[in-house]
Amino acid sequence: MPATAVIEKPTDEVAEIFQKAEDHFGHVPNFVKVLANNPTFCKSLTEFMIQALGEGRIDWAFKELVILKTLRATGAYYSYGAHEKLAADLGNSPERIGDTNNSLWVASPHFTAGEKAVFAYVEQIAEDPNDVGDEIWNPLLKHWDNGQLLELSAVITTFLNIGRMGDTLGVSDPILFSKAVR
Amino acid sequence: MARLPYIEPADADPVTKKVYDDAEARFEMVLNIFKITGNAPEIAEKMWDIYFDILQEGPTLPWIEKELLILKSTKMGDCLYCVTQHEVVSSRLGVHQEKQEHIVGVEYRKSPHYTPGEIAILDLCAHVVLRPETIPAVVWAEVKKHYTDAQIIEIVATIGAYLQVSKFGDALGVQLEEVWHGHEPVLFAVEAPTSKASQHHLKEFMAKQPVG
Repeated sequence: MPATAVIEKPTDEVAEIFQKAEDHFGHVPNFVKVLANNPTFCKSLTEFMIQALGEGRIDWAFKELVILKTLRATGAYYSYGAHEKLAADLGNSPERIGDTNNSLWVASPHFTAGEKAVFAYVEQIAEDPNDVGDEIWNPLLKHWDNGQLLELSAVITTFLNIGRMGDTLGVSDPILFSKAVR
Repeated sequence: MARLPYIEPADADPVTKKVYDDAEARFEMVLNIFKITGNAPEIAEKMWDIYFDILQEGPTLPWIEKELLILKSTKMGDCLYCVTQHEVVSSRLGVHQEKQEHIVGVEYRKSPHYTPGEIAILDLCAHVVLRPETIPAVVWAEVKKHYTDAQIIEIVATIGAYLQVSKFGDALGVQLEEVWHGHEPVLFAVEAPTSKASQHHLKEFMAKQPVG
């Protein structure tokens, strides 16, 4: 049971954001229903989550692997299974999903050099974001432009936040998207 | 030096410019952390709305209590950028130096400057930062004694958002603006950063002379 009430019937204040969530995810995730205890934060956090969970400057399929790696590297449990399903639905093979685990990605034949550079960045942020050295950053610059690097940094740190919030509040979302994603 | 260029207001696209205008109206200047998000305007637009919601009175929590959570969570993450700025913001809101100092470690638990409610949310904050799985029932019981569900969402959202932005800024090497040069650290004077890289950043910052 979550740490707060779960708002099943939207109040007037959250009716619009519930509708946006339903349009995007196919249903209203429990995370959104818990946030609805505070309409202000329900709106801003859900809007940001909708923006993050979709196509962007980074291909969504790879973005999902970055999210999985972030959740693992930061010891977060919230929605891990849902992101694994989403990663598969977006076209990632079981090998690509499995090889995000621990250091398997380093020697994996299923990732490009650019993708491996991102996983190294995720691990460094999880370990110590103050210590992102040239050995981490220069390989990223070879494969990604400034807008993409900004998006990757935002996605990694956003899901560090969402993972922490979901785990703290005890939210369960076994499925994030109940409609076709592609 | 930051890892990505700061997009200055003169070079910003209309979406980013609107974010900058809102930021300047609220914070008297466009901070470097805003300028770096100008590299992806669509992200800046949504991301900063969360922080505009936090950095104000309410809707359900006093701003000063949110500042305590920001100081606690970003100090635990060794974020020089956030801690420096929020020592000043907290001070403006009335959190005096000794109260700030007592936020380090668990000193706040026996400090005369903290209410039982503030102690409860700082205890919660420490667990959220380190590992939410370890939150004891007694911590939840204390939090729920003093705060409503709406406030709990605001508490957890504040901690989570500052975990996010502090690591985002640190990973991208966002630097403190000249206006902060000469600021005497409070929290890091009580306890140095644990990260060697952060210790180095602090030393470099301390060597900078105040401007003007």
